[in-house]
Amino acid sequence: MEALEWHIIDFFQALAAGLLVGGTYGLMCVGLGIIFGVMRVVNFAQGDFMMLGMYVTYYLVTGFGVLAFLGPYAGPVVGAALAGPIVFCVGWLVHRYLMSRVTGARVVTAEAEGHYTQIIMTLGIALILSNGGLILFGSVPLSVRTPLSSESWEIGEVFLNQARGVAFILAVVAAFGLYLFLTRSTLGKSLRAAADNPVAAAYVGVNVDRCHRFAFALGVGVTAIAGGLIASSQSFQPYIGFDFVIVMYAGVVLGGMGSILGAFWGGLTIGLVQQMSTLILPYQLQNTAIFVVFLLIVFFKPQGMFGRVWERT
Amino acid sequence: MARTSSGASLAKPLISLTAAIVAAAGIAGWPTGAALAQTPKPVDIALIMPLSGPWARQGQLVKLGAEMAIAEINEKGGIKSMGGAKLNLISIDAGDSAEKAKNAAQRLVAEHPDVVGGIGAWLSTFTLAITEVTERAQIPWLTLSYADSLTSRGFKYIFQSSPTANVQAVESLPTLIDLAKSATGKAPKTIGLIGDNTASPVSFLKPLREPGGLDKYGMKAVVDETYTPPLADATTLMQRVRSARPDMLLYITTTISDLKLGLDKMNEFHIGKGAVPVIGSGGANGAPEVLKNVSPDLLEGYIFIVANWGLKGQEQILDAFKKRTGEPWMTQESLDGYGHVWILKDALEKVGKADKVKVAEAIHTMEFDSGPTAMVFPGKVKFDAAGHRVGAPLVIVQWQNGVPVTIYPIDRATAKAKWPKS
Repeated sequence: MEALEWHIIDFFQALAAGLLVGGTYGLMCVGLGIIFGVMRVVNFAQGDFMMLGMYVTYYLVTGFGVLAFLGPYAGPVVGAALAGPIVFCVGWLVHRYLMSRVTGARVVTAEAEGHYTQIIMTLGIALILSNGGLILFGSVPLSVRTPLSSESWEIGEVFLNQARGVAFILAVVAAFGLYLFLTRSTLGKSLRAAADNPVAAAYVGVNVDRCHRFAFALGVGVTAIAGGLIASSQSFQPYIGFDFVIVMYAGVVLGGMGSILGAFWGGLTIGLVQQMSTLILPYQLQNTAIFVVFLLIVFFKPQGMFGRVWERT
Repeated sequence: MARTSSGASLAKPLISLTAAIVAAAGIAGWPTGAALAQTPKPVDIALIMPLSGPWARQGQLVKLGAEMAIAEINEKGGIKSMGGAKLNLISIDAGDSAEKAKNAAQRLVAEHPDVVGGIGAWLSTFTLAITEVTERAQIPWLTLSYADSLTSRGFKYIFQSSPTANVQAVESLPTLIDLAKSATGKAPKTIGLIGDNTASPVSFLKPLREPGGLDKYGMKAVVDETYTPPLADATTLMQRVRSARPDMLLYITTTISDLKLGLDKMNEFHIGKGAVPVIGSGGANGAPEVLKNVSPDLLEGYIFIVANWGLKGQEQILDAFKKRTGEPWMTQESLDGYGHVWILKDALEKVGKADKVKVAEAIHTMEFDSGPTAMVFPGKVKFDAAGHRVGAPLVIVQWQNGVPVTIYPIDRATAKAKWPKS
């Protein structure tokens, strides 16, 4: 094949990889988007809840083999989907006993809306989850082994990884479903009301603390699904959360605070920049490129791509 | 007055009771004052390894080897020249960054001034940081890390038991070329160089990247990439390999995650399973957990270069380790952890006292030519003034039927090499 032809293939291959990787980033950003973007609760433990999602998927599919009957193709996908509700329950309990002290109606009048205490609290939870994970799951890197991770659909000369492809489709469906839930359902509207003006929301009968609890559990549950989907393509260990938490925050801010679809686009953009930057920049600058784009968007469009104008970064 | 009288009346029975307890303890074999005075003080040796964070498993494997050596030494009567003093392992977590590793070393120096030697810290980047501290504290420090920069700083207290990464690349390439030639009938002409940017892969690939580095082997690099680990995805990286299609690929990673991403992607691009033979470097490539992440058929034929692996003649050590730990095989990490403790033990035997400076001098001058120390390392065990192990040979390992087996050096190999054929 001619060199020019390879350059074209390289471009489309990087584009495909960017979209597929970005899709999962998008879903994890949506999870954080609900907590940080919509409810405006700072959560540095989000990456560690994602790690929990990975381990839940692993134990459902491989460790305990509960889903082994579904086979190596459907098992990991169903496992990832089930990780969501399981981590949702964990998130609910964490909020009930810990986070409720630093979020919701209790911090309406607190300095910086309780963000300082939230940072300290969630950093502590992150440390407990990652070190607890080390004690509970051990240090051995694991992954959910499936033939999907090393097989592809071929469109001409461009290869689409099957595991990433399935993850992308699920991520798009989940993100769109969440968007509809938050904008159309009564509960979704209550969540946004509880975040936008807790006092007024309480006056009209919204249980602000319960809304915060639900949003927190939903956010970590969604990110856990993203983690479960990544677990098929990538090895993980209890400390993997940290690698993703910065990507998540960058995605949410990039997409625009308060916008669920914006958070998804933010994650997708990060995936695209991360993969496509390698076409023109040295590989080592892959992650630097993300933050250059991030800073450019914050500079020229401080509200993010889809954020409300009054909600600047 | 009443109190004094009562105290006096109690004193006699109390003294008798104490005397009875002491006598009973002596009969029961508990160490009494005289016996305690004769028991030599345990000798502290340190192990700084990543026991948390992404490299925790490698640190754990080194620790398992070191603990086995300490148990064996103590069971056999400790350091005989020191009256049977037992060895005591002080284990400190190096964490997940060079900064934390350096802090661990500073903590060691501050809290354990009696340490006579140490082992650590697997990742070259960590070892570079740690030895800046241990060198100033004059603690003899043994490491399996590969980076050549470790022993090119003029330090007196560092001992590198592995062949340095730059030596590994230069020494292994002719062997690999011969292997390819004998299997395919022609010498490879093109090569891909991919490595992460941690110290060891950078050192490994440096001599090949330098002008003329590959020319002397009649080879040309058609892919040359350095990345920051861990990878999020290997698509664009392996796309370069797919489009350039080198005769062989050096894929030097330090994490299992990147190995998985690379091998999965090569299979997806139809350049895996030997279509482009892949060669790696480092013990992580052969750790038992690789099988939990990568399918055995994708690993078949994958070759990697290490400083140490299960060799002919080590059967006793390997069997004891498997029995003790339940691990399926002994990796470079455990072998070197085991060997490093034995080096310190032999040096202490010679010195006869817990003096770290004398221990370092002994390691510099001794040739460890007997016992487990000689058996556990390939080649002779002698260190030069810079701390290199003189003539340390490299070991080449290949995954065959789901097990990593030693294929080089041939005289101590446990299996015959098979060059992956497309």
